[in-house]
Amino acid sequence: MTLPFRSYLHFGLTLASAALLTSSCELLEFSPNDIRAPATQRNLTQQHLERLVEQPNPTEGDTLRFAFTADTQRYYDELDPLVSSLNQQQNLALVIVGGDISDFGLGREMRWVNDKLKQLRMPYFTVIGNHDHVGNGRAAYQEIFGPLNYSFTYADTRFIFTDTNGREYGFNGQVPNLGWVSQHLADTVGVRRQVAICHVPPFNSDFDPRLATGYAQALAAAPRLVFNLSGHIDKYGVSQPYRDGVTYISGYSVEQRQYLLLTLWGDKGYKLESIPY
Amino acid sequence: MKRLLLFTGLLTTWLSGSTQAQSDAVTPRRWYVPQHVILQTAGGIGLVAGGAGYTLDAKRRWDIDALVGYVPGKYTGGRAFSIFTLKGTYAPFRLPVQTRWHVQPLTVGLLTNYTPSAMLNRSRDDKYPYKNYYWWSSTVRLGVFLGGRVGWELPVGRNNRTRVASIYYELGTNDLYAVSFLTNTKGLALGQILTLGLGVKIDF
Repeated sequence: MTLPFRSYLHFGLTLASAALLTSSCELLEFSPNDIRAPATQRNLTQQHLERLVEQPNPTEGDTLRFAFTADTQRYYDELDPLVSSLNQQQNLALVIVGGDISDFGLGREMRWVNDKLKQLRMPYFTVIGNHDHVGNGRAAYQEIFGPLNYSFTYADTRFIFTDTNGREYGFNGQVPNLGWVSQHLADTVGVRRQVAICHVPPFNSDFDPRLATGYAQALAAAPRLVFNLSGHIDKYGVSQPYRDGVTYISGYSVEQRQYLLLTLWGDKGYKLESIPY
Repeated sequence: MKRLLLFTGLLTTWLSGSTQAQSDAVTPRRWYVPQHVILQTAGGIGLVAGGAGYTLDAKRRWDIDALVGYVPGKYTGGRAFSIFTLKGTYAPFRLPVQTRWHVQPLTVGLLTNYTPSAMLNRSRDDKYPYKNYYWWSSTVRLGVFLGGRVGWELPVGRNNRTRVASIYYELGTNDLYAVSFLTNTKGLALGQILTLGLGVKIDF
């Protein structure tokens, strides 16, 4: 069988250019562990902060409403219903994802999750989880989302996101960075209330045991702290495990098809609602 | 990168060595001498990956290759990766087009690779409390692909063997992307898990 060369060439070129045009950058992957991402999918934390600054608090008075979900890791089927449920909420200022964005620590997984969450009407913010540290995940997270520890203030509320995945560092005594945490809790200029966010809570065995008490003490010493939010254990719970007046809230994982709707008012007033989707 | 340029240079010199047939007999090749060399970009095995391999059967359908790939630090967030890949390819059809041209419209392949980079946080490490805390390896990947080749017959070399220069593409995925896709039939599209590799192969 001999076909004219041109017809093969034409077919080949059409196929190749179609493949290249769809998403050449994503298709031409050097390694699943590489951290390349298009500019629109880099520094998402910074991008979302810029959006937040422009956004007036949708709730009147001193009330602030936001949602908390966690552990999106390889639950892509659950993300469209999550996004549509969140988009239907009234007066939601922002969404927080409590870590384990990815399952395998691959950049492409983080971008798959962003492909879903970018359809949210409000900006979302993430904290790094233990799965995001596997492989080259830490570098991918920093490229795609941004810093591992960061904080911002919105509607008089300071949100403090801390990398608490001590086990991923072999419990080296440096994660979480307690100095950083205390410093950011101590800076209360223009801050009426504080919310701490981490993936692994201090009472879990994946938190560096030498630093758990220190983290709890830092939170207890913060007079404006409303509560600590965490993911990781895939089980909703509200407790005061250290009997020091600090409330620890463990959120739902995406797999559980529920998220938390949190409404803050005054100095320490809050309401929690579990929203199934 | 320098090593790669040197490799390509040597290869070109060697191939352009002599096109004069000195006798009609095909000089037997020592068993360990590769039958082809390849240079590839992307496909999850490096910004560039170079290697050599053997064709296992007389009909030249089965290939096995070993490649070393390179990903510069710019794309890893730190130090460069070296990626060591073993690849098997089956090309069942060879369609002649013109005297010197042929097309292999379908190739099917399997590969595995190892990335021994210190950048990678090992998922099988004694910092985890029990075995299979994470079930996968962060340094070893398995891959599958479908692709095609277009080959051009070069002038016969010194050893009277047919020499062919081919370009190829491979559309594939890896084990972790496949697991993500198979456990999410609605949330992920097939196109999202694909990778594309493009390469040149020279049989000599």
